Amino acid sequence: MSIARPLQEWAQRNGLFFALVILIVFFWITSERFMTSANVAVILQQVSVDGLIAIPGAMLVLSGYVDLSVGSLAVLSAVIFGEAMQAGLGLAPSVILGLAAGTGWGAFNGYLIAYLGFSPIIVTLGGLAGARGLSQLITHGFTVFGFGPLFAELGNGTLLSVPVPVWIYAIAFIIGAHVWYQTPYGRHMAAIGGAREAARSLGIKTRVIPFWLYVASGFASAIGGLIVTSELDGASVSLGLGMELDVLTGILLGGVAFTGGRGSLFGVLFGTIFIGALSNGLIQINVSPYFQQVAVGMALVFAAGLDVLYQRLDRIRFTEEEPPAAVATAEASEQAEETA
Amino acid sequence: MTAPARHPVLELRSVSKSYGPVRALRGVSLKVEAGEVVGLIGDNGAGKSTLISLVSGSAPPDRGEILVEGAEKTFESALDARDAGIETVFQALALAPTLNIVENVYLGRELLRRDPIGRSLKWLDKGAMRREVASGFQRLGLTLPAVTTKVAALSGGQRQAVAIARAVLWDSRIVLLDEPTAALGVKQTEIVLGFIQRLKQHGVAVIFVSHNMQQVLRVVDRVIVLRLGRKVFDGARANLTGPQLVGLMTGALAEEASVARAAPAVPGPSSKECGNAV
Repeated sequence: MSIARPLQEWAQRNGLFFALVILIVFFWITSERFMTSANVAVILQQVSVDGLIAIPGAMLVLSGYVDLSVGSLAVLSAVIFGEAMQAGLGLAPSVILGLAAGTGWGAFNGYLIAYLGFSPIIVTLGGLAGARGLSQLITHGFTVFGFGPLFAELGNGTLLSVPVPVWIYAIAFIIGAHVWYQTPYGRHMAAIGGAREAARSLGIKTRVIPFWLYVASGFASAIGGLIVTSELDGASVSLGLGMELDVLTGILLGGVAFTGGRGSLFGVLFGTIFIGALSNGLIQINVSPYFQQVAVGMALVFAAGLDVLYQRLDRIRFTEEEPPAAVATAEASEQAEETA
Repeated sequence: MTAPARHPVLELRSVSKSYGPVRALRGVSLKVEAGEVVGLIGDNGAGKSTLISLVSGSAPPDRGEILVEGAEKTFESALDARDAGIETVFQALALAPTLNIVENVYLGRELLRRDPIGRSLKWLDKGAMRREVASGFQRLGLTLPAVTTKVAALSGGQRQAVAIARAVLWDSRIVLLDEPTAALGVKQTEIVLGFIQRLKQHGVAVIFVSHNMQQVLRVVDRVIVLRLGRKVFDGARANLTGPQLVGLMTGALAEEASVARAAPAVPGPSSKECGNAV
């Protein structure tokens, strides 16, 4: 018990926040446009799609699972929506079909993984390839566009001068934070991710919870796909490429352990904004777009390094404190025995 | 809870369980009274773990009945058994290391806020849980680090204390301890044995599974010996010695002789006697 432990916990909780502040200050200094209200709105709009998908995504990682199919489910939902619109089904049925496509595939992922015990990485990697392939098959690679002004509001509209996607993200985040911090499900997810056998023996629903998280992940991906489609006014098969990488990097940068059991949704919020600000800022200072991919990749590896570091620190803390604590308990129980 | 019960707190009636061709339990009957500590011993493969998993709700029996306070129970899951007042402390302790002490104690049956909004949003009542755990630890004479400490930061003995405290705080009527001291040092073992006594004082029935004859003889009131899926001995601890128990476990002591000598193994009026003789 020294100053090291509170310091470490503080850094674990706030390190990313200050890294984000430093990043913003850096781009603020180096680029005139970065901190203009127009550009901040652009960043927030870009972040809201990834952030929305990262909410169930982070819950999956917390529970010891992962969803790599999110970008492909987003494009599948988008092209099914586009084809339905082109077939003249009307806006509402097309939106419902698009959402059903992503959500249904998410349920398929969840059933294979949670109930049949398939590997999460392999099943969702299959989804990553399969859902995008299916999208190309449906569209033959052609982009469908022109969905009318009402649908354009979803991606481009504003409410009280805040973009609609940001509203959607904010509402989803409040719901997600409630589930994560204020309901039994948050701790059940951490228990499933950190000690699955223990959770099972205590009667926690170790199949039902991950199943519904995959459904939610598919649903969030579908909404994300529709938002991007609305922003572009086109359902292109190149939509959502590399999205799973950005989303996962945000989650891991936010301090959710890839092995499950530990993490914070507020950390994921900062992690997602960090990735958004990094990509945007690099464009503002005229860095090659190829380098942006390098930067996101490096951020992912850096996040993995932080994860290892936190685990080592946890172990050091444990071994340092064990002897005095154990003695204290023994003495206390002896005293209790005497008084009894 | 300690009032003279009309029924034994736990009763098994000729319970059998097979896993494929392996007949793990063959018609085992037993009774446990409130406030009684029963040692369950047997060699590897004697059926101890099977018996524990049936009573803890992890697996259903093929034949026979499980009664809790005279009422027949069918457990669909571990949660059903916990709801019936049966708490199991497994070898692995069933703790989530990344959660804190309070979160672990209430894992799987968290307290929710009582108001309509809290109920409909499944809103945790964190304050109440923290208070309950803190006062419960005090009642049990336990000193642990702050109740919001993560279990990963606790020592082996402290984790044991949390797992056992979980059982007591829930007003469980029956606590199953499956080799609770197997991985512990001397000092931590003493703490656990002290806890068993404290559970007994609280009127809780304890079934204590162990390989360690010395520990069994120190804390139990009654000993049940399983061998190859059958109950071969059921009697008061008094006058038993370690070598005798080992003989019963391995079959070196003749089954019939030992059972005849040491009071009945079949449920009946006389086995109640042996429960009350404590």
